[in-house]
Amino acid sequence: MSSPKQQEEREVRGASRREFLKTAATGAAAVMGAPGAAQAFDFESFLQKNFRQMSDEEIDEVLDRLSRKYSKKYGKDVTVDAVGPMDDVVYGYGLDISRCIGCRRCVYACVEENNQSRDPEIQWIRVLEFEREAATRGIDMEDGNPYYDHETVPAEDKFYLPMACMHCEDSPCTNVCPTGATWSDPDGIVVIDYDWCIGCRYCMAACPYGARKFNWGEPNVSAEDINPDMHLLGNRPRSRGVVEKCSFCIQRVRKGRYPACLEACPVGARKFGNLLDPDSEIRYLLKHKRTFVLKSELKTNPKFFYFYG
Amino acid sequence: MASNSPDPEDYRPPGYQLVTWVILGLAVVVVFGLTSIRTDHQPDTSRDYPSRPQLPDVEPVLLPPPPMDDEYFPCSDCHEDEPPNPIERELEDEHDEMDFEHGTLWCLDCHDLNDREKLHLADDALVEFEDSWQLCTQCHGKKLADWRAGVHGKRTGHWRGPKEYRACVSCHNPHSPPFKPLAPEPPPLRPENITPNGNVRLEAAHE
Amino acid sequence: MKTLNYFWHFVMGSLAVVSRGTRAYYAWVGLLVLVILIGVGAYMDQASTGLVTTNMRDPVSWGFYIGNFAFLVGVAAAAVVLVIPAYVYNWGPFRDVVLIAELLSVAAIVMCILFVTVDLGRPEYVWHLAPGLGTPNFPHSMLVWDILVLNAYFLINYFIVTYLLFMAFTGQKYNPSFIMPVIFLSIPLAIGIHSVTAMLFMGLKSRPFWHSAILAPRFLSSAFCAGPALLLLVFQVLRSVGKIKISNEALFKIGELIAYAMAVNLFFLGVEVFTEFYGETAHSVHARFQWFGIHGSSAIALWTWLALACNSLALVGFMVPSLRYRLPILSAACVLAIAGVYIEKGMGLLLPGMTPGVLGEVYHYIPSLNEVMVAAGIWGIGVLLFTLMVKVAMEITVGKMRYEQP
Repeated sequence: MSSPKQQEEREVRGASRREFLKTAATGAAAVMGAPGAAQAFDFESFLQKNFRQMSDEEIDEVLDRLSRKYSKKYGKDVTVDAVGPMDDVVYGYGLDISRCIGCRRCVYACVEENNQSRDPEIQWIRVLEFEREAATRGIDMEDGNPYYDHETVPAEDKFYLPMACMHCEDSPCTNVCPTGATWSDPDGIVVIDYDWCIGCRYCMAACPYGARKFNWGEPNVSAEDINPDMHLLGNRPRSRGVVEKCSFCIQRVRKGRYPACLEACPVGARKFGNLLDPDSEIRYLLKHKRTFVLKSELKTNPKFFYFYG
Repeated sequence: MASNSPDPEDYRPPGYQLVTWVILGLAVVVVFGLTSIRTDHQPDTSRDYPSRPQLPDVEPVLLPPPPMDDEYFPCSDCHEDEPPNPIERELEDEHDEMDFEHGTLWCLDCHDLNDREKLHLADDALVEFEDSWQLCTQCHGKKLADWRAGVHGKRTGHWRGPKEYRACVSCHNPHSPPFKPLAPEPPPLRPENITPNGNVRLEAAHE
Repeated sequence: MKTLNYFWHFVMGSLAVVSRGTRAYYAWVGLLVLVILIGVGAYMDQASTGLVTTNMRDPVSWGFYIGNFAFLVGVAAAAVVLVIPAYVYNWGPFRDVVLIAELLSVAAIVMCILFVTVDLGRPEYVWHLAPGLGTPNFPHSMLVWDILVLNAYFLINYFIVTYLLFMAFTGQKYNPSFIMPVIFLSIPLAIGIHSVTAMLFMGLKSRPFWHSAILAPRFLSSAFCAGPALLLLVFQVLRSVGKIKISNEALFKIGELIAYAMAVNLFFLGVEVFTEFYGETAHSVHARFQWFGIHGSSAIALWTWLALACNSLALVGFMVPSLRYRLPILSAACVLAIAGVYIEKGMGLLLPGMTPGVLGEVYHYIPSLNEVMVAAGIWGIGVLLFTLMVKVAMEITVGKMRYEQP
C-alpha cells in the first residue's frame, strides 16, 4: 500500500540496519562464544526482520532458507509457506459441548499436525472435565480437571470443555506483546512470528484462556513424526524460549481445508467456517443454536463459540 | 557530603517550585491516563497482504454408509422362508444379541414387512438401506436441518472446496443410536513432570 | 578537551580507589564475586538448557525473577523519599545522604534490568524492543513503557551522581541551573517507574488478583517502606566504617517517614483484604490462596501472615518515638520492614496472581535451586556495584580522591 518512495526508504533503512546488526552480532557472538552456548548461532534468523515489515522478496528468502534447513534436518521434503489470508474471510470456530465426550483425539491430532514438542510435552488443546453438578454454579474454571484418566469416556455425570486459542477479536495477548511479535491477521487468526518473539511471556500472563504455551526446554519432534507441510506463522518447528499456540491450523485453513482437530473429532462436535459468509456452518450455528463464549465479561470477543447442538 | 550535594538555595528563579510541581502533576496524569487507552479494536496492524480471492466452494459429497453386516444381509436369506408376523413383540430367538435402544420403535416401524431388502417411510414409500437418512429424519427433523447445514455430524476435507459428509448410520447404530464410550487418549503431563531431563511421569508423587 | 582529561583521571582515580581497601573490604568484595560466579554458572546452565531449569511452567509463567524485579523497582523508586525533602524542601540533614540514596537507585535499577533479562526465553533478541532497530509495541505494551522509564530513570540518576561527584573531584562548583532541573525530573520519574511497573500487572484483566486499582498505590507505599529501610541500614554501616558523618537526626527522620509509609501500606492492604473477603466473588480465590491456601497447601499463607507480622511489628518500631530513637530497635524495624515488603511485593504478589491459573490449575511453584542461584548472582552484582560506587563517592566526599595538577 506504500508509495514507491516510502518503499525505497524502507529498504535503505533496512539495509543500514542490517549492516549495523551484523557488526553488533559478530561482536556479541565473540563475547558469547563461551562453551555450552547451545547450538550453532543462526545469524540469518537473528538478523531477520519482523514478518510484518518484510518485503515479499525477503519473505521468500526466509521461506526458502527454512525449507532447505528443515528438509536437511528431518531428511524429508519439507515446504514452509506463508500463504496469506483470503479476501472477505474471518474465521470462526464452533464446539458443541453437548456432544464432546472428552476423548482427546483432537489434542493428539493437533500435536501431530502442528509439530508440537513431544518431549518436553506441549499440547495446544486442553480438555477440561467438569462435574455436571458443579456446573449448576456456572462454569468455574477451578472445577475443571484436565488430568482425568478413565477407562472410557464420557464418564458418568461429567461434561467436557476443550480449550485452545480463542482468536479473540480484542486479544489481550497481542496488546501486551512488547515486540509486536504477535498480532491478529485480517482473517482473524492471532499469529506469532516465532523469529521475533523474545520469550518474555507477558502474553501468557495476559491470556485469559491459558492458550499460550512456552518452550521451557528444547522442543523435540522426531523426523518420523514431523509434518512437512508447514506455515511460517503456524506449525513450523519452534525454538527454545518462544511462545506458541493454536493458529486454527493456518497451514490448512488458508488453503481451504478444515483444521486437524475438527477432522479428528469422532462425534463431529467441532465446526469451522467463515464468519462473513451468511451460508457458512459457523453462521448457521450462531443463528440457530444457543451459543456462548468463555469469560465473556472480559470483553475479549473470542471467535471460538461453544454451543448446545 | 554536604560539600558536593547541591543546595537548592543556589538556584531558585521565581516560580521554580511551581514549575516542578506542574511537571510532576502532568507526569502523574499522563502515566495514570495510560490506563484509559482503549485496547479493544486492535490498533496494531497486520501485514499488507496482497488481495487473495476466496477459493471456489464445492457442494459437499455424501459418503456412502458403511457396508451392511454380512451376517444378516441380505435379510431375505432368512426371511424369505419365514411367514411375516406384523405383531409387535420382543424378539427372543433371533437378533437377540443386538442392542435395541431406540425409543419405543420396533423392527417394522422402519423395516418393510413385505420387502425385506427395503425400509419404509411413514407414508409407506419404500427406501433403500443406503438412503436410510430419509427415514431417520422423518422424526429427527431438527437434526436434518442441522445436518444439511453441516452443523450436525462431521464434515471433512475443505471448509472452502471439496468436502464430504456422512449419513446418520455412518456414526449411529440405527438400532442403538447413542454414542458408545471410547477409551480416551492419555492425559497431559502435570507441570511438575516436565523437567530439565524431559518428560517424567511421576504417578506416585500426586493425588 | 580539558573536561575529557579530567574525566580520564576521574575514571582512573575511581578504579584506583576501588582496588584499594581494608582486609574487610577485600573479604566483602571477594564474597560478592564468589556469589556472582555462582550466579553466572547457574545462568550458563539456564542459557544452554532453557528456562526449564527454573520451576516456572505454563500455569505459573512468571516467578522468582519477576518477583525480585517488582521488589527492586520499589527500592529504586524509594530514593525520592530522600530527594524530595532534600531538594524540594531543602532539609539539610538529608542533603548529606541523598547521593547515597541515588546510588542505591542506580544499583537497584541495574538489578531490575538483569532480573527481566534472565527471565527472557531469548535474551539475545532484546534488540527487537529497541526503537529504530526493532518494533517496540508502543504505546500499547506496558512492558515497553516500563523499559523506557526504567532506562530513563537509570540514566538520569547515574548522570546526576556522576556529575556531582565529578565536579567535586575536579574541585569545581556544580552548575545549579543545569543539574537542578535534572534532579527535579527524577522525582516524577521515580513515581513513574513504580506506577508503570504496577500497571504492567494491573492492566491484565485475565488476572483478577492484579486487576485492581489499589495495586499502584500499594506498590508505592510498600516501596517507600523497603527502600528507605534499606538505606537506613546502609547509612549505619557506612557510619561505622567511619568515613562519613551522618547525623542521627537524619536517621530518625527516615524512620519517621517509613512509619507514615508503612501505616499507609497496611491501610491499603486492609482495604484490599476487605474487598476480597467481605464481598467475596469467584475471583477472590486468589486472595484465599494467599491468606489461607487452597487445595491443601498453605505454605504461601504462612509467608503472607509472616509478612503481615513483620510489617506490623516494623510499624510499631518506627511509629513509637521511644522505640524509634533507639538505634538497635530502629535497625530491627528496618530488617522487619525489608523482609515484610520483600515477601509481600515479591512472591506474595506474583504467586497469588497466577495461582490458580486462568484454567483453574493449581501449580505449587517453589523456585528451583538454579533459579535461586541466578537470583543470588544478580543480587551479588547489584551489591558489588553499590559497594564500589559508594566507596568512590565516600573517598571523593572526604576529599581523599581529588584531581591533582600533574
